[in-house]
Amino acid sequence: MMGRTMNSRPLSSEQSRGFERLAEPVRRWIWDKGWNTLRDIQECAIPVLLDEDGDVIIAAATAGGKTEAAFLPLISLVLEHPGEGGFDLVYVGPLRALINDQFRRLEDLCDRAKLPVYPWHGDISQGVKARARKDPRGVLLITPESLEALFVLRGLEIPALFMSVRAVVIDELHALLDNERGVHLRSLLTRLELAVGHRVRRIGLSATLGEMTLAREYLRPEDPEAVVLLESKSEGQELKVQIRGYLRQGDLSRSDKGDEDETAARREVASHLFSRLRGSRNLIFAGSRQNVEWYADALREMSEKARLPVEFFPHHASLSREHRIDLEKRLKTHSATTAVCTSTLELGIDIGDIACVAQVGAPFSVGSLRQRLGRSGRRVGQPAVLRMYAVETASGTASHPLDRLHLGLIRSIAMVELLIEGWCEPPAMQSLHLSTLTHQILSVIAEHGGMSAKRLYKTLCEFGPFRRVGSQLFARLLRQLGRSDVALLEQAPDGILLLGHQGERLVEHYSFYAVFRSPEEYRLIADHKPLGTLPVIMILAPGMTIIFSGRRWRITDIHDKERVIEVTADRVGRPPLFGGDGGLIHDRVVEKMKEVLLGVDLPAYIDETAARLLEDARSEFRRLDVVRRPICKLGERSYLLATWVGTVKTSTLALVLRAMGYTAETYDGFLDVNYKEGVQPIEAALNGVVRSTPVAATSVLSGKENFMTEKFHPYLNLDLLLEDATSSRIDLNSLHEVARRLLESSK
Amino acid sequence: MQTPKVKKRERDTIIQALRAGVVPKLGLQHIQVGRAREIGELIRDIERIGEGGAAIRFVIGEYGSGKTFFLNLIRLIALEKGMVVLSADMAPDRRLHATGGQARSLYAEMARNASTRTKPEGGAMASIVERFASQAVRAAEIGDLAPSEMIREKLAHLEDLTGGYDVATVITRYWEGFEAGNEELKSAALRWLRAEYSTRTDARKALGVRTIIDDANVYDQLKLLALFVRESGYKGLVVSLDELVNLYKLTSSQARNANYEQILRILNDVLQGSASHLGFMLGGTPEFLMDTRRGLYSYEALQSRLAENTFARGGLVDLSGPVIRLANLTPEDMFVLLTNIRRVMQGENAALSDDALTAFMTHCSDRIGDAYFRTPRNTVTAFVNMLSVLEQNPDVDWRRLLGSVEVAEDSGDDMSDIPDDGANDELASFKL
Repeated sequence: MMGRTMNSRPLSSEQSRGFERLAEPVRRWIWDKGWNTLRDIQECAIPVLLDEDGDVIIAAATAGGKTEAAFLPLISLVLEHPGEGGFDLVYVGPLRALINDQFRRLEDLCDRAKLPVYPWHGDISQGVKARARKDPRGVLLITPESLEALFVLRGLEIPALFMSVRAVVIDELHALLDNERGVHLRSLLTRLELAVGHRVRRIGLSATLGEMTLAREYLRPEDPEAVVLLESKSEGQELKVQIRGYLRQGDLSRSDKGDEDETAARREVASHLFSRLRGSRNLIFAGSRQNVEWYADALREMSEKARLPVEFFPHHASLSREHRIDLEKRLKTHSATTAVCTSTLELGIDIGDIACVAQVGAPFSVGSLRQRLGRSGRRVGQPAVLRMYAVETASGTASHPLDRLHLGLIRSIAMVELLIEGWCEPPAMQSLHLSTLTHQILSVIAEHGGMSAKRLYKTLCEFGPFRRVGSQLFARLLRQLGRSDVALLEQAPDGILLLGHQGERLVEHYSFYAVFRSPEEYRLIADHKPLGTLPVIMILAPGMTIIFSGRRWRITDIHDKERVIEVTADRVGRPPLFGGDGGLIHDRVVEKMKEVLLGVDLPAYIDETAARLLEDARSEFRRLDVVRRPICKLGERSYLLATWVGTVKTSTLALVLRAMGYTAETYDGFLDVNYKEGVQPIEAALNGVVRSTPVAATSVLSGKENFMTEKFHPYLNLDLLLEDATSSRIDLNSLHEVARRLLESSK
Repeated sequence: MQTPKVKKRERDTIIQALRAGVVPKLGLQHIQVGRAREIGELIRDIERIGEGGAAIRFVIGEYGSGKTFFLNLIRLIALEKGMVVLSADMAPDRRLHATGGQARSLYAEMARNASTRTKPEGGAMASIVERFASQAVRAAEIGDLAPSEMIREKLAHLEDLTGGYDVATVITRYWEGFEAGNEELKSAALRWLRAEYSTRTDARKALGVRTIIDDANVYDQLKLLALFVRESGYKGLVVSLDELVNLYKLTSSQARNANYEQILRILNDVLQGSASHLGFMLGGTPEFLMDTRRGLYSYEALQSRLAENTFARGGLVDLSGPVIRLANLTPEDMFVLLTNIRRVMQGENAALSDDALTAFMTHCSDRIGDAYFRTPRNTVTAFVNMLSVLEQNPDVDWRRLLGSVEVAEDSGDDMSDIPDDGANDELASFKL
């Protein structure tokens, strides 16, 4: 049985029933606001929040009145039953700007209700925080990171501060489903409940997603069915999207010309960006730091040539802090500013009110696209604007079939389709999140001053969100953290675990509170010469190839701790120019790409070039006929395998094939397989995979791959890293099924 | 020791406390076993304090080895000798040094537990001040002075010390309240002395003083109090702090060092003779003392001062240093302890035979090995529980009960907000 869903209806003209039930100061506030009706979502929320005490999700479009839907009844509730000290309501918002915004919205209302409202995040002065601690009542507006800081620094005060909290309101729930930060917040919420000794009601505010089960599960993992879902389908926000296609001349006979071709195509993109974005506030997501620098520089040059003030600035993690802060300030104050950025501006930094979000190159996940787009159109009646730029290689006689499929463009289209459907990547339920778990172990110990292994396990893995971590694995993790060269933990003779000297050092620094970080980029080095940097999430291994600045490079070595990848120029065969860019693509996205390639309609939001490229891709797709024959022979000892699954599963198969002596590269649901003489035919290899018992991770991975993607990975050993990777970025269990499907449909 | 009669009140206190696994506040002499030399040494310390000297002792022993019992016994002895004893357990929010009110909260806890011979269970601050006032009145009569003048004269000593002026003012206010029958003023002064004012503004409004007892001046205030209790006619002040392992567990190295610095200050004052009528007893576990990364030994200056006599091992003892290690009880001590408990509970003609005690000890030994006599807390609790059942069901034979007696090993763990149930042996006995 699924939980209850209420689709709200438009309100009739007579006096609202919900209004009558609100507390008098709240009604007075509504009167003064001059509202003549309540929004339907608010009308629905009032009885549910007043009469029941279960968890609730309030889903509506941006500016749909979600905040009031939660706070009008909650404040009424507090006024009717005043608390006995401690905050009455806690609001957790992912962005500082959001908290400042909500503070302005709630200040007046709470003033009427004679309840204090305290904003609490890194920019709030110590004075305000001291007042909040001295007189903890009313509403606390806080970021997950500041809540973490409270646990670490004031662990003993937590029960007193939060003992009478009636509800925790979690804003932007959809942004927290599938990432480290989401797991982190979930852990903090259970720790809060443990500290006060009872369940605390959770109210999630979310954008409307196609599939709300995930949000339910996130909000109350142990009992998702009991979460009441209030959804307002109306008042949807307008979304404006355009995908533009660009052509790059891909002349493979001259690999040294790669740079020039690339530059020409990029110039076209840059000049379009220049013409459309100048004069307003925008974000351009350009992928790697290298690209960011390139585009920012090109756009600056164009401004200077046109004798116009420069309003395009780069933003990425290796720029100095001052530079970044200046730009962030400018984004808040100047309306004509465009930041060209890597994923650094996706999370954690606050700019509201963006006119347009531009995406150069295809994004890797719908969730992150949604996140980026969420920056634009935050005001009522303002559309969210998304411009996507797809640079594709022109098809020549010598092109690789994969290049002719224009997978980058196809992926962009698939992502937009999924975005419109309201789909979003589900949380990786299998994931162990060992990095975040390490963070929480340190935090719980800091909160209590020390804790036994057993209680730690209870707190984090039985009550908390790390339920996939068994006690054996947990003990191994603790031992690793307690090694003398890691020194995050140490143990008192009575068994209590304490922070080791490294652990103390980490916890004492303010950078400890955030568990997420923007993916760090790897430096590429060829023959001792640096090529540039590249963000990599997917698993790479020596022998694989990557595309960088229009050329293909073979990886010779990976130094994970130093974040260096050594490469040599790859001149063998005629490899595709697309792909090898290191992101994780979900199964559903690949499936959608297949639908796009099989389809006949041209989406309304693509430009002429893009439309022509799509037609080309579709005819090439029909010619290859990979739907009926997923094992496609391209030439002597060269195959194309259409796995039709996402990066995790496809690259797992690639790793297995590589262990058998093939070279195999992953391209969005395709595998480009080559082999030397003496290796068994591909069908036989796949048959072997189907027949074999479950494959052990150690037989597939050499230990030379890149594993350290999250903040606390550098403290783990290879075993734990392998286990973490096999839980999230490698899927050995899928091998059997993927290989079987490849063989079956080929018959 | 002779066997004095056990009073009913003492008996009830002892039984209740032992069943709860805590140390009784009264009647300790009835159950004390062993450690005669250590006790003798501390009695000498207390005599020295009474004669104007100072002392500091680190009482070091494992969890459940009887530190708290020992400290309490010394406390009772000190009270008998006419001292004022301040006692408190350290906790994460009660430390010697802090910036967030935790040191003030330690002082407040100590002041609440202030005890004297007539008020051995704490709450003696009011009677100390009261006694000061009446002593002053009496002395004024003899010296033919106005009482207020006498008080000023007596308090003049205090003003020489840091913060003494305000303490003198507060006590004068108390006297004024006493004279005028102003209960409010009296209680405000007492509140000040118990460190219950958390802001200067409040204290100034109520008493007209500029300072309060807060994080920065805990030790200075103790020195003042030592002087003041002398003026009230007591022999001296003994500060008894337990659970110092909580300092060892502090997460921040800065906070630990700041606390150890306070201990060093005290140690220096005591050893150099600049403190008088003041004694400190600090109870902690061996790791609190010895751990060179986070224990007292991590603080270089303390390590050299506290280093134990290297000849004192293998049964040889040197009790003249500041560190007293509580030797483990032996099985023979355990037997005497159980006999004592039996006597307290069942009187002189005990119903339970000596065989039963031996059988009980064997049973415990089978369950938890040596721990049953090394860390006697849980063994004693189990024994008291068994005796209680026998007392209420006289027809039950002890042999029938023995098999079902549960003893657990003592872990010293005290985090009750997170349940610790469920079988998970891998983590229960986890070692890094």
